[in-house]
Parts: sequence; C-alpha cells; structure tokens
Amino acid sequence: MFARLLFESFRRQLRRKAFALVAIALGMSISTAMIAVATDIGDKIRKELGAYGANILITPIEDNMNVEVGGTSIKPATSGASIQESQLPAIKTIFWRHNILGFAPFLSGQTTLLAGGQPVSVELIGTYFSKPVQTGDEKFVTGVRSINKFWKVDGTWPPDKPGDEPDSVAAEVLAGISLAHRLNLKIGDTVAIGSEKARISGVLSTGGQEDDALIAPLPLAQRILERPGAAGSVLISALTKPEDAFARQNPNTMPPATRERWYCSPYANSIAFQLREAFPNARVEQIRQVEQNQGKVLSRISGLMLLLAIAAIAASVLAVSAIMAATIIERRQEVGLMKSLGAGNGPVALLFLTEAGLLAVVGGGIGFFLGAFLAQQIGQNVFGSSINVHPVVLAIVIFSALLVAFAGSITAIRKAMHFDPAVVLRGDA
Amino acid sequence: MSRPRLMLRMLLKAVWVRKDRTLTALLSIAVVATLTTAILTVYAGLDAKLNQEFRSFGANAIVTDANGTITPEQVEKIRNTLGDKGEIVPVAYAVVSGPSGSRMVVAGANLSLLAAMNSWWSITKEYSQNPNAMLGSRVAETLSAGQSASPTIATFQITYGGRSADVRAGAVFRSGSPDDNRIYLDLSEFTKLTGVTPNTVLLRIDGSPADIEKQVGTLAASLPHTEVKIVRQITSTQTAVLGRTRSIVLAACLVVVILIVLCMVATLTGSVLERRKDFAVMKALGASNTTVNLLFAGEATLMSVMAALGGFFAGTALAFWIGKVNFGTAISPRLSLLFPVLSGSILVALLASTAPLRLLRAIQPASILRGE
Repeated sequence: MFARLLFESFRRQLRRKAFALVAIALGMSISTAMIAVATDIGDKIRKELGAYGANILITPIEDNMNVEVGGTSIKPATSGASIQESQLPAIKTIFWRHNILGFAPFLSGQTTLLAGGQPVSVELIGTYFSKPVQTGDEKFVTGVRSINKFWKVDGTWPPDKPGDEPDSVAAEVLAGISLAHRLNLKIGDTVAIGSEKARISGVLSTGGQEDDALIAPLPLAQRILERPGAAGSVLISALTKPEDAFARQNPNTMPPATRERWYCSPYANSIAFQLREAFPNARVEQIRQVEQNQGKVLSRISGLMLLLAIAAIAASVLAVSAIMAATIIERRQEVGLMKSLGAGNGPVALLFLTEAGLLAVVGGGIGFFLGAFLAQQIGQNVFGSSINVHPVVLAIVIFSALLVAFAGSITAIRKAMHFDPAVVLRGDA
Repeated sequence: MSRPRLMLRMLLKAVWVRKDRTLTALLSIAVVATLTTAILTVYAGLDAKLNQEFRSFGANAIVTDANGTITPEQVEKIRNTLGDKGEIVPVAYAVVSGPSGSRMVVAGANLSLLAAMNSWWSITKEYSQNPNAMLGSRVAETLSAGQSASPTIATFQITYGGRSADVRAGAVFRSGSPDDNRIYLDLSEFTKLTGVTPNTVLLRIDGSPADIEKQVGTLAASLPHTEVKIVRQITSTQTAVLGRTRSIVLAACLVVVILIVLCMVATLTGSVLERRKDFAVMKALGASNTTVNLLFAGEATLMSVMAALGGFFAGTALAFWIGKVNFGTAISPRLSLLFPVLSGSILVALLASTAPLRLLRAIQPASILRGE
C-alpha cells in the first residue's frame, strides 16, 4: 500500500516532482562544483607559481662568503667550492621527488669577451636551458626555461649540448640586455669568450644580475672557466605546503613519531632537509622571498574561494529547502484526505519524507555529476588541467541533499498536519 | 471599483493570501540577488585586494647608477613621483675588511625601512648596546665559526681605507638570497666610515603590474643617466596570480549565478503552474490574456523588487564580511551594482512567471477547473 501510494504520487504529479528534482540537482551541482574548485585551487595556483621562481637554493658548504656587489663577484675566480654536476640527478631521489618541478645549476665567473674591438671583462653564467636529465628510469627535462619563466628572450634560446662532446657547430649563448646595449652586441654576432667562439642567439632580460652577463650552456661555461663538471649553485623549484608553526620546528629535537610526520610533510623546510641529506657537502636554503610570500597570497586565494563556496552552498541549501517546503504546502488537501480516511500523523509524515528522500538522492546524484563536469570545465579553461572531484564529495552531496530536503519538508509537514482535515478539504485553509 | 484599483487589490491579495507561496518565491529571488551582489562585489574588489597582498613581496623595481651615485635630489624626485603609493630604500655598498682580515660586503641603508620592505626575512634578535647593524645569516655563521655563543659576534670592528668602525648587530636575518652574505649598517654610519653614497635605490611600487610599469616608465624618463629596472620575477608572479585568480573566480561565479538563477526559475515556474485554477477562474470570468499576463507579471515585479532590494543589502554585507575575514579589510559596497541586480532580478522573475502562462493558454479553462 505504502509503495503504491509512493509510486502513484510520482506518477500523477510528474511535473511537480520534476521541478523539485531540477531545483535539488541544480543546488547540489553548485555545491559539488564549488567544493571541487575550492579544494583544488591551492594546488593549481601553487603549481602555477612554482613556475615563476625557484624556492630552494643549494650552494657548496665550503664556499666562502660571497663577496658580490651589484651582481658582480669580487672573489678571485679560482676560489670557491662547487657541487659536482654529475650528482644533480640525486635531487630527484629524495622522498618528495615528485614535488620537485625542476632545477637548474649555475656556474658563474669572470672571463674576457672579444667582440670586434677591445677585450672586455664580463661575467659568464653557465646553466641548463631545457636539458633532458636521466634520473633512475625517468627522463626529466629541466632548466631555466621551466623554473624561471620570467626570463624573457628576444631571439631564440640556445640548445643545451647533451654532453661535453666537441662542438661540430658553433655554440650559442645569450647576452644580457644591459651587456648587449653596452657592448652593442646583436643577435647573430659571433664573439670570442675566453678561448671559445660562440654565436649570440638571443638577448635575455630578467630584471636581475643576468642582464649584465653572458649566459651559456653549462658545459661551455665549464670549459671556458676551466672548472670541468662543476656547478656553483643549484636553484630548485618545488611544490610545497605553506609554512606553519610545525614546519619551523627543529627536526633534530623532535621525538621520532613527530619527526616522521615533519619529514613526510612537503614543507620547504623538510624538502630542504632531505636535499641536505642527499648533498651532505652543500648548504640548502629556502628562498624566503618566494616561499613565504607565495604562501601568504595562496592562503588568501584559497580562503576567498572557501568563503565563496560556503556562501554559494548556503544559498543553494536555502533555495532547495524553500522548494521542498513549497511542494508540501501545496499538498495540504492530500494530507487532509489521508487523515480523514484514518491515516495517523506518522504514516503521512513517512510518505512525504520518503518522497523527499527519493528526490534528494536522485537530485543529489544528478547534481554531483553536473557539478563535477562543470568543475572539470572550469579547470580546463583556466588552468589547462582538469579539477578532479573526489568521490567522497558524492557521499557528502547526497547526505546534504537528504538533510536539506528533510529540513525543508519537516516544518511544512508539521504545519500541514496542524490543519483540521475538514477545513482543508473544503479548501478554506 | 475601477479596473486599476481592482487590479491592485488582486495583486496585493495574491501576495497576502498565499503567504507561504509568496515567501518561497521571495526567498528564492532574494537568495539569487544576495549571491549575485556578493559575488560581483568581491570580484570587483579582487584586484585591489590581491595587489595589496603583493606589497609583502618587497622591492619590485630597482634604480641603479653604475657609474656614480644617486644624489639626494634624485632620491627626493623618486619619493615625490611615488608619493604614498610605495616605499623607497636607498642602499650603498662597499667591500670592507672584517675581524680576521676577511673581506666582506657592507651595505648602508635605513635599517627599519629595509626590514619593513623585506618582511619575509626571518629575523633573530641579537643583544648589543645601541645596535647599528643587521647581519646576514652567512656572515653570522662565518664570524661565529669556532665560537659557540652568538653574543660574541654581536660586536666587532670593520675597517675601510684605514678608518675603522664598530658594528653592533641588533639582529641576524635569513633570506635565502645573496643578502645573507652582507652586513647592513645604518646609512649615516656607513657614509661616515666609507664616504660612499647610495648608488642603488630599492623601490616597492604599490598597484597592479600595469601601474608598476607606468611608474617605472615615468621614473626612467625623469632620471637620466640611471637605470630603472623592474624585478620581473615579482611582477610576473603578480600578473600570473592575478590573471588566474580572476579567471577562476569569474568562472566559479558564473556557474553559481547561472545555476542559482535556473533554480529560481524552476521554483517560480513551478509555483505559477500550481495556480492553474486561478488562471482558469479568471479566464472563465472573462479576463483577457493581457489582463491575466499583467496580473501575473505585476505580482512577479512586486516580489522581485522587494526581494532584490533585500538581497542587494544582504549581498553587500556578505561581501563586506568576506573581505574582513579573508583580507583583513572590508570590500566596500558598490552602489553601481544595485541597478543591474534589480533589473536582472525583475527580468528573470518576469520571464519565469509569465512563460508558463503560454502553456496554460493552450488548455481550455473548463478542463482545468474540472481538474483534468
């Protein structure tokens, strides 16, 4: 009997039910899309930011203090310890290796440049531009082109020589924009740097000290500066979690369980700690300007999305509740009829609540898929990668749909039961 | 009773007699208006709020004079150009001899301004009488090598060109940049020791990346013989973050507003269809299609004006609160949004409540009244 009542109610009031269903589905798809966007935006923007500047710096530990003014090193060229270039793949062997988005080694020193007229002393910086690196069985392309996206090149980027093999064609280098202006260097010029000849393939502008230097592929710089296999420092771009009080604690004074938790959190500090383990003779520091401030900006953006999500969800909950209440109020006469035929309050409430529950489950399910689709579209359009909706959100959405539908229905059902059946049936209520 | 008065009476009665239904419709329109207002207000204030956040990244432009010094007049000129839209810190550099004859870089600057501009520095206080310097972390490490307690490094002597001066460190800072290799000395004492005047000015220009470009252009034009450079790492990050954030907020907002409007249309359409009998009675009593349309449209307009006004204020309050909670400063209300929100609500409510009447018109009043 109950099942039949339920079935008939859906069959006979298809349009009314359809409206309630559409409203629940729309409300719940808002919730799904906003939950997905708000939970994923932190990672998405962080990844975006990772490309705009390295956040960890490795330097050799025996190195003296860097005596450098305005980007020009005053140290004698022979001094300075180095990191072996061959050790660099170890960066991708640490616990958080998948969070390492890229790295680039740098080797700099003074050399002489002969471009037409007089020899001039200039700074030469060797680095990777976009170099394939083999780490274990993974091939990984890294260099300044991916970790320093703010480097702008007019012309073309020089190719990275795969190894130290002798050049069959002239090597290519970049000239910093200030240096190019000062010495009147042009794209396509061939210059003599130390003992080597190279062609200028582009003019680089960074807003930093590189503007006044020559940038060469690392092997070329190593030959010119006579420091084979050496790198002076390594910049690393890693995906990290914003620093909190726990991140700032000293791992050496922690009890083992806490230390384990610290070690396994992707803080810049713990990634630096793991890199220190991989490079015992190096100093690993987080670049605080990048790390600290990005964390701050990110927390603001995530916070904003969270608040917008809460507002949107609250609004959709209100709207759905109101609709559920309205659909029941409209059916006062049915309540009156059932009661006059002898139905108790319990069975009547049960019928209405079951109807609401069915609508909530189906509407919530449809809403979830619609919302997931929308979140994915937003992700594709804004970040070029999809925003994935965690399956647990389905459970949350259906549960909240049920909660909202019941909450909206209960007050209306109680109100409908308050009326005298006779009055309702006469249509006077 | 005249027709307009009858119309008005029917309108008011329709709202008053079915309080529940009216309330549902009012609520759904108000929810739409609230959310739309809040989201548009937040969106409009987003750039300003985020640009504000980027102040903490510190210097985003640098003025240098490779061949000489930056004169106090030039510093004043920079200060006047920026006005209250930024901070400037002139810096001078020199290489001096440290305690054990080691060479180190000392920079002269206004220490409190410098620390304020580089707010990300992790600063550890040192205790020395009448401090006049801040030490980079690597300087501190080098000086304290072989010595266990840090206070021993707090005071030492440096010499330059035969003159010497006391360094009394008030703090050690860690930045993860070449600054860690430097000693920052109070500018007046630095100049007294070395006679070197600033040749670099660090600038923090407030505003959007476009504003920063513009200010840098103005400065470059007004300061010949100097080089004014943008720190591209910072402005690029700012551009990227602003662009992405704006897009994601816009996309999310569009989705929310469209869905919630659809939700409201479903509610209103549903409630109009429930009133088939009213429609049929009116038609049976001889009302024309226009009159019935007018009545339903009037009702929808009346409700949407009330709901949209309420929603506008609630939405403005919501945006204000979001700004306070998330950015620490309120997002100010935008009266210019009132008209679009109001007219949008009325339009949607009109469409939602008059469109179903077309469906009803196809049915004979008698069959509706018979309950078919």
